[in-house]
Amino acid sequence: MKILDIALKDLLRSLRNYFFLGFGLGVPVLMSAIFYFAFGGLAGEGGFEIAQVDVVIVNLDEPLAEYDGFSAGEMLADFLQSEELAGILAATEVDSAAEARAAVDNQEAGVAVIIPAGLSAAAFDPQGRAEVEVYHDPTLTIGPGIVKSIVTQFTDTLVGSKIAAEVAYNQLSAQGATVDAMVLQNVAMQYGEWSAALAESQGASTLLDIHSPTGKEEEEDNQILAMVGGIMTGMMVFYAFYTGAASAMGTLQEEEDGTLPRLFTTPTPLSTILGGKFVAVFALVIFQVIVLMAFSSLIFKTEWGALGPLSMAIVGLVVLAASFGIFIMSWLKDTKQAGIVIGGVMTVLGMVGISSVFTANVPGAEGGITEILPLFVPQGWAMRAWRIVIDGGTVGDVLLPFAVMLVLSAIFFTIGVLRFRKRFT
Amino acid sequence: MRIIDLAINDLKQLVRDWKTALFLIVMPIGFTLFFGVIFGGVGGEQDPRLPVGFIDQDGGGVLSPHLLDLLDASDAIRPEVSDESIERAEKKVSDKDWAAAVIVPAGYSESVLRSGEGHALAGEEAALTIIVDGSTAAGATALNGVQTAVTRLRGAAKAAQLSARALESQGKSTDEPFLANAMSEAIEAWREPPLTVSVAQSGLATEEDEEKSVMATSYGQSSPGMMVQFSIAGLIGAANILVLERKSRSLQRLLTTAISRVEIILGHYSTMFVMIFAQLALLIGFGQLALGVDYAREPVAILLLAVTMSLWTASLGLLIGVLAKTEEQAVIFAMIPMFILSALGGAWMPLEVTGEAFQTIGHLLPTAWAMDGIQNIIVRGLGLESVLLPAGIMLAYAIVLFALGVWRFKFE
Repeated sequence: MKILDIALKDLLRSLRNYFFLGFGLGVPVLMSAIFYFAFGGLAGEGGFEIAQVDVVIVNLDEPLAEYDGFSAGEMLADFLQSEELAGILAATEVDSAAEARAAVDNQEAGVAVIIPAGLSAAAFDPQGRAEVEVYHDPTLTIGPGIVKSIVTQFTDTLVGSKIAAEVAYNQLSAQGATVDAMVLQNVAMQYGEWSAALAESQGASTLLDIHSPTGKEEEEDNQILAMVGGIMTGMMVFYAFYTGAASAMGTLQEEEDGTLPRLFTTPTPLSTILGGKFVAVFALVIFQVIVLMAFSSLIFKTEWGALGPLSMAIVGLVVLAASFGIFIMSWLKDTKQAGIVIGGVMTVLGMVGISSVFTANVPGAEGGITEILPLFVPQGWAMRAWRIVIDGGTVGDVLLPFAVMLVLSAIFFTIGVLRFRKRFT
Repeated sequence: MRIIDLAINDLKQLVRDWKTALFLIVMPIGFTLFFGVIFGGVGGEQDPRLPVGFIDQDGGGVLSPHLLDLLDASDAIRPEVSDESIERAEKKVSDKDWAAAVIVPAGYSESVLRSGEGHALAGEEAALTIIVDGSTAAGATALNGVQTAVTRLRGAAKAAQLSARALESQGKSTDEPFLANAMSEAIEAWREPPLTVSVAQSGLATEEDEEKSVMATSYGQSSPGMMVQFSIAGLIGAANILVLERKSRSLQRLLTTAISRVEIILGHYSTMFVMIFAQLALLIGFGQLALGVDYAREPVAILLLAVTMSLWTASLGLLIGVLAKTEEQAVIFAMIPMFILSALGGAWMPLEVTGEAFQTIGHLLPTAWAMDGIQNIIVRGLGLESVLLPAGIMLAYAIVLFALGVWRFKFE
């Protein structure tokens, strides 16, 4: 009973503490809200919102008089400025390549599309070649990628028609068949119709049967919420370890204030006093995790996965964060050292452990070192377990990180308790 | 002179505390390297393209090798031929070993080449299976790369079919070898399409030194980003000096001496300015010498940015020191703005990946302007005039925050 009294008193003290309210609850919620906002949470449509790409176009292409003034450049320029792309691109035309490049250099536009003089000719001339240049601000990656993809889609249609006509010419000639302009024009036209039909039927996606690796097809419906769920998980793991350490620091604080030595003069056994303090550490981390999960469910509509694996992730996180806090504090002399450890060491370990949160929107940054490095810190195992859970993993999937968390917790807790006992005996 | 004495005293206090070095130097360097590695700064992998599993269940089908060629020609993805099961492929995509997995189903080639006569979308019913998490950036990029390759493959198949139809319209018959031959010719033509799209970057990345441009873009985010973030983190120690002096009544005792209130405030402010400026100088030197980020190409512009950054951050530090009543509060008052200003200002991730409203709000903050100013020099390759606006905005912030700090300054 005394254990619970001590634990309750410590818990109440922590809950009144600015540090816990600020770092334990305020900052994780705030950071998740910022990311939610950053990736389009206010768009209200459940998808990622990316700002319109400012594009300048220069069309140097010359229309072909022999083909009724056909101009591939004009078609491309119109396509880029069409209503269809207005949500993605804010495109305007300029007169020269130098002007287009200058607009990018002066940050008046993010991307310039430079349509070369011979684009139309290259589309018809068997030997003709042309290159559309996408010139962009070097700090941008997504916008230029989008523009390149759109321009490639356009040029591929022209190239496809040209290749179809060339293949028809060569194959028919080889068979001794008649190959005249009418035949070739007919082939190119039919190819164009096929290409247009393909574009109208949502492009290449009709040629693909797309499956999610987890079988969660509904994640397409609301990517932003899935992403914020991942961020909230990262924040929860990051700050649970802060709370474990900050709460365990209370023992050092009481030692410095002289209240702990006074408590040792009472008939209450040392094991009861320390036990009560450690129970408070666990209770505070549990409280934090539950509050953050409830908040995220209500505000961000986070889906936390099945109850079985979720319970394992919660237990693993709570015992690991609390044990690690006790372990770390058992090695420190005073609250001054503890401040450094909480501010510096826990930040470093935490950021390494949850690095997958930072790489989530960076192509190619996932996997490899960003998967392995976090497993060298306890936060990394907790993060792995939570990621499995929110990705819809089963009890079997989460078993390994859960077991590792329990083993680490047992080691940290045993060492921490032994050191504290030795210190106060 | 008294201002300098006071500042030197504060600086000695800070230098004696090794925690200062941790926040000011060790952590920003560590995180610059960490984020640089994450975002490809080291570039150890030979082929930077995203790995995509390629599982061919269409044994002997003529289209599979062509598709493999087209996927391999992509500058975004690289196919890895595998005979894994679908379940294993799902696991590899889920574990991020592959950005996606392409599965060519049995009978795919036959279905594409033989079906769809008279229909605009020939072979529409024959679809490739792709396992991909389109909600991730890598997944979306891989999906785009696969779509381009598949569209070209189907375009080649369509070209072969149209040739066959043109031949048949002249009363001649076509067979499998004819289609395969036409298909091969079309695929070959797609390997070097006559119309291409090239991508060029403005600024430093267009210089001949390829290695320099790679370093500029990978550390061009993490180096200034961590500078911006940890200049604020470094305020904890400096703000704490003010808190401790107030708590121990040293400030009040100082007032009994000949030193004026203005001199006391300026003394503490100077400490923070010098501390942050020294931190920035060290981090800029580290970026230049160890990471190859070319800060030195416009020394005056970088100096101007470092001075104005130091001024506004020191003003924030003064305000924190004034508002915090305890050391704990000083930590919270420094760390919370650090997180918010860093995230909103684009220190952690480029603002480009965020929405319009976020970018607008971000640019109401000095951190976004600091990032813009530094990146104008080290990534965009611009000159002194490009940092005047960012420096001016940071200076305005410095004045406003300093005025607030002085207004709220209490000696007891």
